[in-house]
Amino acid sequence: MKLFTYIALLFTLPINFSIIRYNYSYFGDVIHSAPGLSYAQTFSERTLGTPLVSPEDLVVYEDFIYIISSGSNKLVVVNDNFNLEHSVTHFPLSDAYRDRLFETTPLLQETLVDYRIATIIAINEARANAIATIQALPFLETEQRAAFNTDIEQLNNTFIATIQNNMLPSDIRAIQQQANTTYSTILDQAFDLNEEQTVEPDPEDETETEDPVVKPAPVALVTQPESLAVLEHRRLNAPMGLDVKNTGIYIADTGNRRILKANHNFEIVDVFSQINDITFDNLEFAPLKITTDTTGRMYVIARDVFEGIIELDTDGSFNRYTGVNPIRLSPVDIFNRFWMTDAQIDRLPKFLPTSYTNVTMSPENFIYATSLASSNNSDNMIQLINPKGIDVLVRNGYHTPKGDIQFIEGMNNFVIQGPSRLVDIALYRDGIYTVLDSRRSRLFTYDSEGNLLYINGEAGQQLDKFSNGVALGYFGDNLLVLDRELRTVIVYEHTEFGQKVNQAIYHHERGEFELAAMLWEEVLVLNTNYEVAYSGIGKFHLRNGDYQKAMEYFQYGYDKYYYSRAYKSYRNEIIKDNFGYIFLAILAIPAITITLKQIKKRKDR
Amino acid sequence: MNKVKSILNDYLSFPRYIMMHPFDGYDEFKTEKKGKLSVALVFIGLFALLRILTYQYESFLINERNPMLINNLQELFVVALLISLFVTANWSVTTLMEGKGKYKEILMVTGYSLFPIILIGYPALFISNLLTLEEMAFYTLAVGIAYFLTAWMLFMGILNIHQYGLFKTVGAFLLTVVSMMVMMFLGLLFFDVIQQIIAFISAIIEELGLRR
Repeated sequence: MKLFTYIALLFTLPINFSIIRYNYSYFGDVIHSAPGLSYAQTFSERTLGTPLVSPEDLVVYEDFIYIISSGSNKLVVVNDNFNLEHSVTHFPLSDAYRDRLFETTPLLQETLVDYRIATIIAINEARANAIATIQALPFLETEQRAAFNTDIEQLNNTFIATIQNNMLPSDIRAIQQQANTTYSTILDQAFDLNEEQTVEPDPEDETETEDPVVKPAPVALVTQPESLAVLEHRRLNAPMGLDVKNTGIYIADTGNRRILKANHNFEIVDVFSQINDITFDNLEFAPLKITTDTTGRMYVIARDVFEGIIELDTDGSFNRYTGVNPIRLSPVDIFNRFWMTDAQIDRLPKFLPTSYTNVTMSPENFIYATSLASSNNSDNMIQLINPKGIDVLVRNGYHTPKGDIQFIEGMNNFVIQGPSRLVDIALYRDGIYTVLDSRRSRLFTYDSEGNLLYINGEAGQQLDKFSNGVALGYFGDNLLVLDRELRTVIVYEHTEFGQKVNQAIYHHERGEFELAAMLWEEVLVLNTNYEVAYSGIGKFHLRNGDYQKAMEYFQYGYDKYYYSRAYKSYRNEIIKDNFGYIFLAILAIPAITITLKQIKKRKDR
Repeated sequence: MNKVKSILNDYLSFPRYIMMHPFDGYDEFKTEKKGKLSVALVFIGLFALLRILTYQYESFLINERNPMLINNLQELFVVALLISLFVTANWSVTTLMEGKGKYKEILMVTGYSLFPIILIGYPALFISNLLTLEEMAFYTLAVGIAYFLTAWMLFMGILNIHQYGLFKTVGAFLLTVVSMMVMMFLGLLFFDVIQQIIAFISAIIEELGLRR
């Protein structure tokens, strides 16, 4: 058994060591750290049993996971056992939306009614033709004729009944086609029967030659008016973004240049395609990512829009741009531009603000947004935009939250260069959030203060790795990462270390410093390098009035602000305890010097 | 007792006198040979020591340096290199600009002008450990004053030692900076070339060894 363990270790150790386990120290050095998340399971298009070509976005709502696939143009709903619940490719119109269309579009309802009537007339014509033909068949018996006739009548009634209340133009058209084909099959049967019962006419009786009965041609299809296309089911075309809230399902239908709003029965409630802003006078509105607040206001990132996040009201009217990404010119640029003419400036490469890559709404209606790093500023890659449109993300950690802090820039072709490329952000409880770096396939988890808690993930093709992560979301305590290339969702669960860190932060947020400190102690057993934990324990000692110990822990945790506070209290304590001596010294030293001088003077005299 | 008094005079009173009365002070410094090379060298050494101590023992609240990266030799070399570069550059510039100062005098002026940094720096370094984050402004102010006084003493020293006017001194300083850069460039070039020559010679030796 022991031997077996050793051999097993021999094989598994390299795998264990290859897992990225690091964090950044206060000084920005890469130090060893325990990972906060570990692989739990996975589900993919194969286990779901539905094709999922290039999935783009993933949203968790209640107990369901919503995934949008831009290649298969569908919305997939997965339940908490990671089995397929729904797979929606077309979305019928809801009654309310259809009624609104009838109200707003002139002549739409009339056209539909006309189209129905025309189709009914056509079907009736087909029935009349069929009955007439059956009557004309010479050798059928009367009962058979009657049977065929009732068949046809019955079918006709059902057809007309289905048409009468049908709202789908394509359905009406299909029924007419069906009528044509069913009548012709009935006629075929009638002809066969007629053939069987044919009494050979007397060959000598040549005068009684009749024209053979001819099967009537199907009645021409009634052309469908083009204006009725709005009543059809909506299909998606390369959708990129998705949001699901209790107000409905919002899909950024990028290829169709519109936003679809559906209710939870997957019926269309509203369609937004026209944005009344000057930007879109000569630019197509191509929504990429969408998030909504509790009232249903939509926050949309659109392609080639650099003004910021588009805020749309609940009825789809344009409100404003929010969270503009400012650009900074370097002094040299400003100096150069000062001398240039307008024509020269026009020919310069444009300084465009970096575009946002994703938005996620917090329950308090603050927007967590990720953006790409601009050429000279990578500090606001993660933003927390308040309802006023201002970035209020707390950046009190050792480093600004921006993914990897140390990276190689422009060195060679063998390492991945440049800052992290953050593509999605997911919120956990207590203000903990995780960002996804698609450049190096890593997950960075921060707390609400901006401390980097743990780093996870590694690029690869194995089951527990992802190579092209596009979206992530917290599903209960599990983290889901959607991989576009492998069409897989990887489910991560918290390790013991991660659980303890989260739990400690939970207590810390509620002011239960003692419980938090106990958990931080346990965290330090798992990872002695964890500087955030020392600072947490220090806060507990500070509350307890154990200033010297608090200072020691704050020094380990490089928490200067709290160290200063602890030190101040400590210093006051010392001064208070020794106030008598200090006061004595203040009085005694001048007194002694004065007397000494006096004595010297007298001696000299 | 007399010896102690003369040491105190050399290391405290006279530098203070120069600081407060630069024209008279530097006049005595130059004409009456009151300035001593040993004092200047000690000041330079104390300055290097102060840098090392600051690196390690500055208050935790303001010290942003990584203690793992401390390198005492490097600190010493940086001070020695900077001062020798400045002195050499200034000497070469002022010689062409009819300055009256000798190389030794420039070195002494540079050393003496570090006096405020040493006088204020050591106590400030100690006091910084007794301050909170809000009170740290006093420390930065004290250090700022020290550096300002050093700059003042250096400027006045160069002005007096070479018997320049105000604008000529400013010009001399600018040219000194330029010549320091040129010297650094040449130095780097020299090292690079030497490296290549050494590599070349070692390659030849290796080659000869293989041909034997």
